[in-house]
Amino acid sequence: MLELRDITRAYELGGERAGVFGVSIEVPRGCLAVIAGPSGSGKTTLLQVAGLLDSPDEGEVRLDGEPVSRLPEKARCDLRLRRLGFVFQAFNLVPVLSALENVMLPLQLQGLAEPEARKRAEAALDRVGLADRRHHRPGQLIGGQQQRVAIARALAPEPLLVLADEPTASLDHAHGGPLMDLMADLARERGTAFLVASHDPAVIARAHRVFRLADGRLVEAP
Amino acid sequence: MILARLALRNLLRQRRRTALTLMVVVAGFLALSLAGGFMAQTFQGLSDAAIRGGLGHLQVLPAGNLDGDEAQSLEHALPDGEALAARLRQDPAVAEVLPRIQFMGLLSSGPRSVAFLGTAVDPVREPRFMASLDTLKDGAKAPGGAGSHWLSADPAAREVILGTGLARGLGASVGSSLTLMSTTKDGALNALDVEVVGLQDLGLKELNDRVLTVSLATAAQLLDAGPARSRLSIVLRHPADTAREQLRLQALLPGTTVKPWFELASFYRQVKLLYTAIFGFMGLVLFLVVLLATANTLLMSVMERIREFGVLRAMGLQAGQLLSLLQWEGAFLGLLGSALGLVATLLLRAGLNALHLQMPAPPGTSHGYELDIHFVPLVYLAAALGLQATIQISAFFPGLKAARLRIVEALRHV
Repeated sequence: MLELRDITRAYELGGERAGVFGVSIEVPRGCLAVIAGPSGSGKTTLLQVAGLLDSPDEGEVRLDGEPVSRLPEKARCDLRLRRLGFVFQAFNLVPVLSALENVMLPLQLQGLAEPEARKRAEAALDRVGLADRRHHRPGQLIGGQQQRVAIARALAPEPLLVLADEPTASLDHAHGGPLMDLMADLARERGTAFLVASHDPAVIARAHRVFRLADGRLVEAP
Repeated sequence: MILARLALRNLLRQRRRTALTLMVVVAGFLALSLAGGFMAQTFQGLSDAAIRGGLGHLQVLPAGNLDGDEAQSLEHALPDGEALAARLRQDPAVAEVLPRIQFMGLLSSGPRSVAFLGTAVDPVREPRFMASLDTLKDGAKAPGGAGSHWLSADPAAREVILGTGLARGLGASVGSSLTLMSTTKDGALNALDVEVVGLQDLGLKELNDRVLTVSLATAAQLLDAGPARSRLSIVLRHPADTAREQLRLQALLPGTTVKPWFELASFYRQVKLLYTAIFGFMGLVLFLVVLLATANTLLMSVMERIREFGVLRAMGLQAGQLLSLLQWEGAFLGLLGSALGLVATLLLRAGLNALHLQMPAPPGTSHGYELDIHFVPLVYLAAALGLQATIQISAFFPGLKAARLRIVEALRHV
């Protein structure tokens, strides 16, 4: 479903060359894959290239067999809207919108009518266990709840692939473990692929596939 | 509509900053609309003064009269102005025709003689439509003006009304006997004894020092004018039709020139030009202030939301939609600012008008006037549209900055 072929994305950091170099990975449907590695190993860079937020210097990204990394920005933006979902370390919910409105946002950007978007957003919030918090603003929710809203927002449009960058880094163990269990369940239930960048052992323990990076190079693959 | 909702929520997020920006927009609207209302009052006053001061809505002049100077009175004249006036009075669009003779000469009290500019009018018809009696009312308060009254309807009466400055120059007052001297239309010198029956104050010192008014019968005798008249002032039934009636009457009256009042009222045109320039400059400064204030607000708002914009772009919001988001924020600022500005304008206008403030006399005139800021919806609409356009322009550049952000950098922004 997602294929990264010989991806190189380099940049200067503190006078040194950093990034990822010649990395190839494959994530099928329904798979919870983790890119593991220490800080600075290139996890986020690889995730950004996979999520079409950045373009590789070399190599190719394929979604369902289609090359997508060289598409114009407008087309990549449309792919992100309709086929990808994102979960960030800092949750990054829109603070002026309620939990429900945050989840409705990508659906409405897709052009869904408000009643339909509301119905699907309520179902997504219900699935992550936050139906009773749907009218709360992000500032009124604790970290674990905010990340669940972020997952609901990523899943509501029914994407092929959800990309999550250190989704448990801002959570304690009591909330991080159940969050990863939720992702694993969703991958199995819906066939959605998850690609998670993390160095959290609790995350890695729940992964179906683990890709280890060190200094921007793949050092271990399933 | 999701972008509009997001924009509104964003404005409400920073209430104090939004309120400050709205105050700038309201102040801009208020200044433009009040200045526009004041200008409308001024233009209305000046046009009334010009029309009721003797021009009427249209003037019928001898062809070429405006192009050359007269060496003697009635050198350029409508040869049978009275007959022409009678004919024009039959026209359904015409309310009244007021024939006039413009002449010049010397006015003597015996020991002193002063050059004058004279106007001869119909003593019966003139006060019905022109401000003749208004100027007299003020003249009665001038030294020597006690007992001032308008010209007699009797064609045999030989009376004169003097400008207050002219009377002062001659040491004359109501009841004084003076001698008018001028040349007839054939160039012969002629003189006529007249009695001062009134003093008039036309509001301009230069005019008050030189002008006098007599009846047409008096001037006709002095100038041997017969039925010749310098010009005819036409008062229309529907002043709004002035431009159309000018064309129609011009076609009906070959050998004459028909001019609308605004082409002859040079003071009106000069003041209008001056006020328009001042208003334009003030408007430019206000628009600039609003532009900078709103651009600053929106730019600060963008700088604070860079990470948020990165997330929205990652989720699939197109760069153009980010531009739209900022345009929506600008649209709400403009709409709300103009709406509040309109309310503030109407309240302040009502308050100021209720105070009956006396304004100082404009340059070159001797009368003050009461402030009466007009209600001018077109000015309000123009102010609202101008401010809205300014705000949309000011929202464009912060929007462009947001749209050009690299997503990965925006997501890293702290």
